[in-house]
Amino acid sequence: MEEAFMMASLSSLRKRRLKERCFRGAGLLSVLLALLFLGGILGNIIYKGVPAFFRTEISSKLYPNLLNSHARYVADSLWIVASDDVDMYYKKGYNGKLSPAQIQEITTLKEGGQIRLTFNVGFFTQSDSREPELAGIWGGLVGSCLTLFITFMTAFPLGVGTALYLEEFAPKNQLTHWIEANINNLAAVPSILFGLLGLVLFIHFLGFPRPSALVGGLTLGLMSLPVIVVATRAALLSVPQTLKEAALGLGATPLQVLFHHVVPTALPGIMTGVILSLARALGETAPLLIIGMVAFIATPPAHFLSPATVLPVQIFNWSRSSEMGFVENTSGAILVLLFVLALLNGVAVFIRRKFEAVK
Amino acid sequence: MKIPSKIDIKNLNLFYGDKQALFNVSLKIPVFQTTALIGPSGCGKSSFLRCLNRMNDIVPHACIEGEVLLDKEDIYAPSVDVVELRTRVGMVFQKPNPFPRSIYENVAYGPRIHSLFKSKSALDEIVELSLKRAALWEEVKDRLQQPATRLSGGQQQRLCIARAIAVNPEVILMDEPCSALDPIATAKIEELIDELREKFTLIIVTHNLQQAARVSQQTAFFHSGYLIETGETGALFTMPQDEKTQGYITGRYG
Repeated sequence: MEEAFMMASLSSLRKRRLKERCFRGAGLLSVLLALLFLGGILGNIIYKGVPAFFRTEISSKLYPNLLNSHARYVADSLWIVASDDVDMYYKKGYNGKLSPAQIQEITTLKEGGQIRLTFNVGFFTQSDSREPELAGIWGGLVGSCLTLFITFMTAFPLGVGTALYLEEFAPKNQLTHWIEANINNLAAVPSILFGLLGLVLFIHFLGFPRPSALVGGLTLGLMSLPVIVVATRAALLSVPQTLKEAALGLGATPLQVLFHHVVPTALPGIMTGVILSLARALGETAPLLIIGMVAFIATPPAHFLSPATVLPVQIFNWSRSSEMGFVENTSGAILVLLFVLALLNGVAVFIRRKFEAVK
Repeated sequence: MKIPSKIDIKNLNLFYGDKQALFNVSLKIPVFQTTALIGPSGCGKSSFLRCLNRMNDIVPHACIEGEVLLDKEDIYAPSVDVVELRTRVGMVFQKPNPFPRSIYENVAYGPRIHSLFKSKSALDEIVELSLKRAALWEEVKDRLQQPATRLSGGQQQRLCIARAIAVNPEVILMDEPCSALDPIATAKIEELIDELREKFTLIIVTHNLQQAARVSQQTAFFHSGYLIETGETGALFTMPQDEKTQGYITGRYG
């Protein structure tokens, strides 16, 4: 009898062990698959994008049709940016639209040391252009910064303020409950709808200038607002009640409890939420297309009201072009965008670590 | 000799929404004495304690009837400022809850928010005196700037007591201050409670009957929201008048 029981429990133990092994295996497999996809995408972008950081230059004006189309306006400089066809041929050996005679000319230049591959400074300092060899991300980068600034200035104070009020001061009744539920729902609304809202509210109703960083920033601010509210409330909720009671018991006013204890304790969570929502706003394209930031803009925006575009929209624009040079530029710009996003996320992690270490 | 009352509770009823937690409680708290509140879990003794410095205000739907007179003034009168009340009636909680700051800042927080000092050295003095009164000074005097969360549980609780007495209250409420502590730390706190009686009026909620007998002069026995019996501690433990009290202190239930 006892033996039978032992056997049964042994076989049950074996079954449980087996189940655990299966679960672990499945978990590991999913991680590996995810890494494979991620690595594939990233590898592809890097493979295509890194050449965009280099450009072909020619130090001879002998063959003007090998040079970029603006070369004739440029004053004497030793090295002149080559046309995108030459660039592609020199980097990757694509013939493209080059005639056999032109290829012969390139070979001649090569023999004379009059053609070289160098770091593509223009990719970072120039704005959008119809010519891929002259196009750069500066305009988009400046536009992104201005837009994000507006987003931060609107969404941060409004979002954190809303969360603080709802969590700490608002009476808990039907109305606030309803507002809370709706804010949670807003956080999940597709971003393109915020674009429509921005179009109606800021452009049609308030009449702000169309493809400006102001309108873009406000629209993205609307989009980030619910996310920031939700993240901040979650951070505030995680502050232990005993901490608040300790301060209240000493005769601190609710406002002192909030700013001396609750906010400092919740700050890492709040900042992480804000930075992550800003990172999402930085990578957002759809709502900006609706409010007209998709326009071709060849000069960086001088201020918040001047026509602007942002980095992801510029990537979107370039990706629609079939020219080889733009395909390369698209991947290059994606790399820059990813770098900036990784930087922002790194800052979020840093802040979290730094504040948590203090405790 | 009749000891004057510091707090006089008259016909106190406490409701949490529809649920009534305290029924018609009347109790006098003698000044410079320790009053112990005992009773089985959920009997309302902690709720009662939290009525005395209006900590129940932060509980939604909590509602109070009756009077709580502190020095003959009703603390629930509209003219009373709850912030001022809580500086007069301090509180030590069940679980040690130091602020996640330095030891010094924990004690200095109360005096800081109430501006109880004129200079940095005066604040240093308050901190030192409070820590000495809480019998913690010798253990922490060399590491005042270290985070309070690194102290042991017993030290944290004494720090919380130091923090409470730093604002120089008249009454200190203690809600099971030793329930999370080991016997040695408990003994230290009990010793401390006895010393604090010289300067403060103390009210302590405890599940530990021996503790109540050791530290208090008056004991009140609560049962399911009613104050069943109250009296001088020695008398209550040796000759309880009520059947329920007797049942509880002899360990028949609770």
